[in-house]
Amino acid sequence: MIQALAFYVMAAVTVLAALAVVGARNPVHSVLFLITAFFSAAGLFVLLGAEFLAMLLVVVYVGAVAVLFLFVVMMLDIDFAKLKAGFAQYLPIGGLVGGILATEMILVALAVGREGAAAKNALPDANAGGASNIEAIGQVLYTDYSYFFEAAGLILLVAMIGAIVLTLRHKPHVKRQDIGAQVARTPKKGMEVVQIKPGSGVEL
Amino acid sequence: MNNITDSLRMAHPEVILSAVTILLTAIGAFAGRKASLVVSALAVISLIGVAVIAAIGVPVGIAFGGSFISDAAASYAKVGIYLMSAVAVILGYGWLGRLSARQFEYPLLILLAATGMGIMVSAGDLISLYIGIELQSLALYVLAAFRRDDPKASEAGLKYFVLGALSSGLLLYGASLIYGFAGSTHFDVIAAAVKAGTGTGVLFGLVFLICGLAFKVSAAPFHMWTPDVYEGAPTPVVAFFTAAPKLAAMVLILRVLYTGFPDNIEQWRQIILLIAIVSVGVGAFAGLVQSNIKRLLAYSSIANMGYVLIGLSAGNHEGAQAVLIFMSLYMIDATGFFAALTALSRGGKPMETIADMAGLSRTNPAMAITITLLAFSAMGIPPLPGFWGKFYVFKAAIDAGQWPIAVAGLVGSVVAAFYYLRLVKVMWLDDSPGAVDKGPLDARIVAFASALFAFPLVMIGLTWIEHYSGYAADAFGLL
Amino acid sequence: MTIGLAHYLTVAAILFTIGVFGIFVNRKNIIVILMSIELILLAVNINLVAFSAYLHDITGQIFAMFVLTVAAAEAAVGLAILVTFFRNRGDIEVDDASVMKG
Repeated sequence: MIQALAFYVMAAVTVLAALAVVGARNPVHSVLFLITAFFSAAGLFVLLGAEFLAMLLVVVYVGAVAVLFLFVVMMLDIDFAKLKAGFAQYLPIGGLVGGILATEMILVALAVGREGAAAKNALPDANAGGASNIEAIGQVLYTDYSYFFEAAGLILLVAMIGAIVLTLRHKPHVKRQDIGAQVARTPKKGMEVVQIKPGSGVEL
Repeated sequence: MNNITDSLRMAHPEVILSAVTILLTAIGAFAGRKASLVVSALAVISLIGVAVIAAIGVPVGIAFGGSFISDAAASYAKVGIYLMSAVAVILGYGWLGRLSARQFEYPLLILLAATGMGIMVSAGDLISLYIGIELQSLALYVLAAFRRDDPKASEAGLKYFVLGALSSGLLLYGASLIYGFAGSTHFDVIAAAVKAGTGTGVLFGLVFLICGLAFKVSAAPFHMWTPDVYEGAPTPVVAFFTAAPKLAAMVLILRVLYTGFPDNIEQWRQIILLIAIVSVGVGAFAGLVQSNIKRLLAYSSIANMGYVLIGLSAGNHEGAQAVLIFMSLYMIDATGFFAALTALSRGGKPMETIADMAGLSRTNPAMAITITLLAFSAMGIPPLPGFWGKFYVFKAAIDAGQWPIAVAGLVGSVVAAFYYLRLVKVMWLDDSPGAVDKGPLDARIVAFASALFAFPLVMIGLTWIEHYSGYAADAFGLL
Repeated sequence: MTIGLAHYLTVAAILFTIGVFGIFVNRKNIIVILMSIELILLAVNINLVAFSAYLHDITGQIFAMFVLTVAAAEAAVGLAILVTFFRNRGDIEVDDASVMKG
């Protein structure tokens, strides 16, 4: 009973927050609703017994992706009212198509769920003992799935190179610390002995 | 067989490529722009090296618990992909040099994309399919926007990214439904589950998956990004886009449909044929009204993907072989076309519209002959490569009993011939508005080589391609 | 009142539709489009984890993990391209002020 209640609350919050993401006037609000959606989806994962992924979802999305979005939204100086201009115009037809699409998608998903290999099973009993979720993932992630693990590393490398090559700019007037130059500095370079004639100033 | 050493041996090309990429990243990070030449040269050498390894040195088998398939089809595709990537590095190096914006990241991104394509053509399950596609696509998005000061390039990158990410979402949703239905991500287990099960639910997953993959080969009605990206992205980058990634995605479609869903052929054939016919139609008719050559070639590539899918719908050994032959010949032709465009400029301004080409036969006869040969090949005039590609594809379709579709494809290719003829006519008969620049050596060599292949080398090349693609098609385990 | 696989799949299907819907109604607002794509990937993840739990098979969760990883990489690349676009154009409107016409 309590599980059903938890499911309905979290599912409702996820769906409503997702609607708010696409409908909010201000992208900052959209990002915040996105965080809400991911947070409650993490709750659904916990109900399914996938604690590790739930944690990952919160850490990766709330900690990294959403902050990245916020950062970009605030960094770019955008006229948001202008961007929303087409929204009301597309809304009625979009809503109609969306409603039909949603019904169809649900029917499709239910058909797959009913016919597929998963239909016969119930959720595994959480109190049955055996390996915990994180143990089970750890046992296969670095062994059976090591290939994907390495390939995913390459994907992150692409993201890193891509973000740097597209956005990094070396501005000439920015002063940077050059440790090599600092260490290599000798008294000879740093000091200058000037002979001063009496009566005339020093020119620096 | 699941021993990690054996697995690594089968994945040698990809392992070597990723190791080289990481090494070159380190070199580039420390040496900066000075390292551009070294990084590019090493990238070309290693790409050619892994192409050789893929051709001769890789044992056949299943690696990493079924996620990685090393067979003749994968090797065949990898040779093509890695050689085309090497060409892309060379073209890109010259192009960046002319912009005096030599950046070592360019060859690195090509290397990473090539690794992703290697993973794609060797994919044995849905996870490696997804990871390969994403590794490839993310690198290509960045390449499209690589000229970050050019508004057109960044708009192309943005459009490519948004539609590409949406298509990945569709593909993934389909993959998740298939996983839920079959209880496994491996193609062979999926095939067994589909055979045993009576449900039709899995077909919905397959439809999503095909839609996602059709995006990646830019088949209509998922082609919206193609003209904009081809027009906006730098020409050498487009030369890369039009070749290797399409081959990789086509082999992946073959792999998914032929090994994952061999018993649903009647169902997926209809989807594929629909996509094929729409692609041929859109490519042929929308191409007629284009004035920009890069957009025109984008529509031409959409039409060509339609022909390939007509061959693919045969669903047998002949169909798989036709796909591989067509793609190999098309890659060489299209790369040559874009290399020729890279080479052509007037007063430092690239010549990108059909009107710019006027009188090219007098100002630059060598390049005019090259483009004419490539255009005739694309039209399908015998004995040029484009003819042979279409010949195998339509023959496969007719032998499989799909002759109405083959006729429709032929009609489309006749319509498409008009826009190539218009280009040729403008080049040979119209008056030139002025002299043409000499053009960079690297792009000219690639264009000439491609024209030389179109005629007469294709006579020799085709016997090889037919021979090896026959072996490769055997790997799909069909009739 | 027991919660079964169908319930989770329904939530995922609704989220997927909202994501697709969000892309079509917010054609001009690239940032919201990127967020809609994240919603689609979240729907996929819910599907995968639900199937994984009911199949008693850990593969689905591993798949979801890689989807998460790739989604993070995708967000980084997408936002980087968006930033270059903004620097060139001064806004992020794609639809109307398009340099190219389709």
